[in-house]
Amino acid sequence: MAMSIVHRATGIANAAGFVLLVLWLVAAAAGDPMFGAVNGLFGSWFGQLVLFGFTWSLTHHMLGGIRHFIWDTGAMMEPGRREAIAWATLVGSVVITLVIWLVFVWVG
Amino acid sequence: MREQLITKDTIADPRTRYGAAKASTRHFMTQRVTGAINIVFLLLLLFVVVRLAGADRAGAVALIGTPWIGLPLALLIVNVAIHIRNGMRDVLEDYFAGSTYTLLMTLTTLFSVVVGALGALCVLKLVFWG
Repeated sequence: MAMSIVHRATGIANAAGFVLLVLWLVAAAAGDPMFGAVNGLFGSWFGQLVLFGFTWSLTHHMLGGIRHFIWDTGAMMEPGRREAIAWATLVGSVVITLVIWLVFVWVG
Repeated sequence: MREQLITKDTIADPRTRYGAAKASTRHFMTQRVTGAINIVFLLLLLFVVVRLAGADRAGAVALIGTPWIGLPLALLIVNVAIHIRNGMRDVLEDYFAGSTYTLLMTLTTLFSVVVGALGALCVLKLVFWG
């Protein structure tokens, strides 16, 4: 129930994040001044915060989608198991997001 | 536009084609196929973003302008736009009806087409013109 709402909320958030990706591509196509400006915006502390949230939102929505693929086969629908798989998507999304940022941003 | 009066008979009669059951099988399959392809998109996006973190525009053009990265990226951006429109339909169908739904769905289509086409065209520009 709650996970259904989160799946929808992250889906809408991903649509907003998609605008950020396209903004970055427009800037890359436009030229150096705009690319520098957008990179500066995304590199600021607020930009990094938004991108971190976007990473989690994408990861959570992807795992939610995989959960739906599993449910489509009829598996993991039983009481208890469906709660377990819901928790797995939540914990998994946080772990994957932290690993991505740890490996590629904070350390790399 | 006047709202249609919904009775039990309207809902029970398949000939009225009331509700979301017009092309729902196609919407269901579209959402799953584009969703599965989006996993590939995320992997490619992660690769591109990680490679370009802190890079200047020349680096971005060199990487995205590579045809075997740029061309799949453009296709996957279109795929994401389709997935966004289809997914937003699922949400809008549940909370809105009648002309409000039609209006919001039109705005969703507009958003998907404009943002998706813009993203894909910018990538193609980098591939073919640098």
